[in-house]
Amino acid sequence: MFLFLGVLLNILAPWPLKLIVDYVITDQPLPDAVFWLTAMPGGGSSSALLAWLALGTLMIFVSRQVVAILKAYIQTGAASRMKFDLGVEIFAHLQRLSLQYHGTKPAGDLVRRVITDTDCVRHLFVLIILPTIVSVVTIITMFIVMWHLDRTLALLALVAVGPLPALMKWLAPRMTERTYEQHQAEGELMAVAEQTISALPVVQAFGREAHEDERFRNVSTRAIRAYLRTIVSQLQYKIGVSTATALGTAAVMALGGVHVLNGSLTIGSLLVFLSYLASLYTPIETVAYLSTSYADAAGRARRVLEVLNTEQAVKEAPGARGLPAPTGNLGLAVRLEQVSFGYEPSRPVLEDVTLEAQPGETIALVGATGAGKSTLVSLIPRFFDPWSGRVLISGYDVRGLTLDSLRSKIALVLQDPFLLPLTIAENIAYGRPDAHLREIEDAAIAANADEFIQRLPDGYNTVIGERGATLSGGQRQRLAIARALLKNAPILILDEPTSALDAETEMLFLQALDRLMADRTTFIIAHRMSTIRNADRVVTLRDRRIIESRANAPSVNDDHGSDQLPAVHV
Amino acid sequence: MMPYIMRQKRGLAVILILTIVSAATAALMPWPLKILVDYALGDAEIPAFIESFFAALSISIAPMVLIFAAAIASFALFALNSALDVGTTWTWSASGMRMVYDLARDLFSQLQRLSLLFHGRGSVGDWLARLSGDVWCTYKLASELLVSPAQHMFTIFTVTALAWTLDPLLTIVLLAVTPVLTGSALYFGKRLKRRSRQQLEARSQLTSLVQQTVTAIPVVQAFSREATNKHRFSQVAGQIVVRGQQGVLIRHAYTFVNGFSMAVGMAIILYLGGQQVLSGSISVGSLLVFTAYVQTLRGAFGGLLGAYGNLKGTEANIDRVLEVLDSEETVKDKPGALPLPAIQGRGMAVRLKNITFGYEPNRPVLHDISLDVAPGETIALVGPTGVGKSTFVSLIPRFFDPWEGCVLVNGVDARDVQLASLRAQIALVLQEPFLLPMTVAANVAYGRLDADRDQVEAAAHAANAHEFIRRLPNGYDTVIGERGATLSGGQRQRLAIARALLKDSPILILDEPTSALDPQTEALLLEALERLMADRTTFIIAHRMSTVRHADRAVVLGDGKIQESGSHDALIAARGKYHRYYTLQTEDSAGKAGT
Repeated sequence: MFLFLGVLLNILAPWPLKLIVDYVITDQPLPDAVFWLTAMPGGGSSSALLAWLALGTLMIFVSRQVVAILKAYIQTGAASRMKFDLGVEIFAHLQRLSLQYHGTKPAGDLVRRVITDTDCVRHLFVLIILPTIVSVVTIITMFIVMWHLDRTLALLALVAVGPLPALMKWLAPRMTERTYEQHQAEGELMAVAEQTISALPVVQAFGREAHEDERFRNVSTRAIRAYLRTIVSQLQYKIGVSTATALGTAAVMALGGVHVLNGSLTIGSLLVFLSYLASLYTPIETVAYLSTSYADAAGRARRVLEVLNTEQAVKEAPGARGLPAPTGNLGLAVRLEQVSFGYEPSRPVLEDVTLEAQPGETIALVGATGAGKSTLVSLIPRFFDPWSGRVLISGYDVRGLTLDSLRSKIALVLQDPFLLPLTIAENIAYGRPDAHLREIEDAAIAANADEFIQRLPDGYNTVIGERGATLSGGQRQRLAIARALLKNAPILILDEPTSALDAETEMLFLQALDRLMADRTTFIIAHRMSTIRNADRVVTLRDRRIIESRANAPSVNDDHGSDQLPAVHV
Repeated sequence: MMPYIMRQKRGLAVILILTIVSAATAALMPWPLKILVDYALGDAEIPAFIESFFAALSISIAPMVLIFAAAIASFALFALNSALDVGTTWTWSASGMRMVYDLARDLFSQLQRLSLLFHGRGSVGDWLARLSGDVWCTYKLASELLVSPAQHMFTIFTVTALAWTLDPLLTIVLLAVTPVLTGSALYFGKRLKRRSRQQLEARSQLTSLVQQTVTAIPVVQAFSREATNKHRFSQVAGQIVVRGQQGVLIRHAYTFVNGFSMAVGMAIILYLGGQQVLSGSISVGSLLVFTAYVQTLRGAFGGLLGAYGNLKGTEANIDRVLEVLDSEETVKDKPGALPLPAIQGRGMAVRLKNITFGYEPNRPVLHDISLDVAPGETIALVGPTGVGKSTFVSLIPRFFDPWEGCVLVNGVDARDVQLASLRAQIALVLQEPFLLPMTVAANVAYGRLDADRDQVEAAAHAANAHEFIRRLPNGYDTVIGERGATLSGGQRQRLAIARALLKDSPILILDEPTSALDPQTEALLLEALERLMADRTTFIIAHRMSTVRHADRAVVLGDGKIQESGSHDALIAARGKYHRYYTLQTEDSAGKAGT
């Protein structure tokens, strides 16, 4: 609505001047359409007419401004809402992509796609769709008015516009390509920065600052070059448009002048023409630059779509069912059936592995570093889906369950605690945002974390520095344990939960863990004997397979003298 | 900020010249129309310079000739204007981008050198936002402070001068609106700056949220936080939308006041000018030139004050960049610091003297600690989790500087030598391996860029990493997924050890290097580590007594102090804390062996 009002006001803008030049100054009687002006106060005197027409100019201008403000307000809101709607969607999608995807994509680049590249939809709206509508309507209306004033001139003005669409078509693909390159280079630059800043202790310790500077410089030089290449295409376009504008204006001036001389056009009408030409070229230029904006938006859109179109490797099957809560307090049965899996094609990490855990059973996984222990337990919460074979919980294939119901039954503690820059309490309650402080404290006490938390400046409300920088490794790990405890799930996965703890803390922690594991199905990966001594069964992995699975008999500690090294620390 | 801008002074000079010419062109733009209306179509007296111009070309002046002359002049001015525009855009893009990236490089460089204390307080996402968004402030600043004012001032100046020759009274009307414009710029400028800062903060909050989530995906998925995070995203994004809209309102209120005062000027000119045309004191063509000038001036004033308004917004960006650039929290070289004399593989004496340090004021982690380590000695640090063992060893490579006391390396205060030379003498293996997404070989050679493949492989062998590396699809040239995702914890740690081995420094710091390794791998690794430690000064933090036992001296930390210190045998005999830790672990396995 405002769009069309705006166009109408643009059309009206040069008319008071035309009336002044053609009728007031030359003292001609006003044409019928505006004869009512003589009825305004002041009568038909030239100077009163001048005053009214001047006022008219003012009114038109003010209305244009008001319309422009309303339009901008509505448009900004709508456009940024579109952008963030897309942002929410790509963010939600990213969160659900498998760890395998995230393992190969730098976080910085992904962040850029969510935050910056989603601008494409806003640009599409603000720089492409709206201007197209406004421009097309303006061009058509102006052409109709010009047609009524002087047909030859109107056609002439149109001819000057002719070559622009062709030029647009010719340059557009190149501009899209270059804009994409530019965004790639910028994304890469952010990735370099992100990697370096995230690994800062190592960067500083190894004195690599100068080298990283160099790397940043090289990538940024590429970004500059890519940017300038984009500018070149834009300029080529601009030159084409300006030439057409200049030629059109000159031609209208010449032909219009001739028409005035032979009396078929008034000077005022020629002025209207020239003014329209100036404002006609603005919408045409807009349409012309559309391809640039389009190229930019398309470049960004491609990066957004790359993420959105990445199929979720792990996704809910249609008609997936919720996993029923366990009856009683005994945990859930977990069964891996002839499972094979690897991260890269034809390099399996696990081959034909079968393992069954009874409800409430504790299984310790031991084996050499890299034998696939962490990978094996990652299959249970469906971080990955196996190549072949299946994972069953309570007899249900996990691929037939809803992800939420599956993962809500599993608590886990990983090697890397992954704390977030939130308060301690929020970190512990990460899996249960509605938990009471009382419950959070209980979990912290059980994980032996309460004492050090109390000593922090704001206790449970202390915000953790990113990557838990102001906490020691053991403290971070204890928070991760508290977080898993609070989740209170029937299946517990512990991936070397105690490797960062000292002997004393570990002992206290194990006591807590023993209580917890009693009525849960637990998988525990550990290298220390002390940690796995209460397991019901010890499973040894080697060369992608289970080579040994037996009841936890401690005789394993006796082969010190044999040539075989123990699988766990004693 | 100025140095970054001035570095591009050649480009800026070109832009300045182009700008002056384009201001003159802009002022001449409406004149062909005057020629057309007054001389070709009207009957005004043709000025002498036009007559002599045509006389020189020996063309007789006829209305048709003047029409075409006006058309050609118009084309020429348009073409010139567009050529200048292209020239300016190109030069400006090139210089502007260089300004932006010069600043980005320095910012990045500074970020790398700021102490870990500084980084502990901010999020990576926020730093990245500053690095990718706020650095544009140089570009904006140059545009708003130099390019745009120059262009608009010249335009105002030439237009005023030309208008004056036509009619002084109308020229005064033309300029009468200036005070209103200046007033509104001052009024709205302040409000714009505040909005812009708020919006930036909300944006960087959003970036942090995405960043956190993406880097902690395993936990996000395991704890099913996807929906909550999504909700939070929508919330922050909603705030940005509202702030953005408010910003638009302020910005437009500002344009409105400017535009309105210009429209008043236009109305007065139409009225007064029309009267003067009626009374015959100016021609219709001159009135047209005036009306065109109202538009030109509106553009120039609008641009000038708009630049001023944006300048306010840019200040917010500059503040955020300077917050990092001006931070004093770098651990940096003293002026005139000398390099620490290098010693290859012989060990260096390390002495910590009355050290007090903590991460937050009034909460010292270490309190008045002193420790003297002889060259080649191996010190094991023992104590409960969180007691400050990692902090203690972090002071040696100057990740932090102590509040009080000093660290002496070979008798020299660590703060008095060049940081790079100090860190070159120290190799370390941390709890978290921090591998980078480069090839395996590049990761191992991270501390020694000049190492050849044989040396890299030798280090990998010694760290027991060679075998698994060879099994990777591209061997040593396999690129590691970000955060080492496709390697197991133990494999990552072995690469970190190989990296430290290759660095071959006289001081070695091992912060729980083996906690992620299984006993089999650890046993092999300990051999390698022992060979390495033999002629090096080594600090080792470990929980396993099997590792600690071989140290020359064990130091028990507790309550911010050294509680016990001595050889394994002496400490066992003393039956103190060390003895308790030791028995806790050994009893555990002894008990196991007995059942």
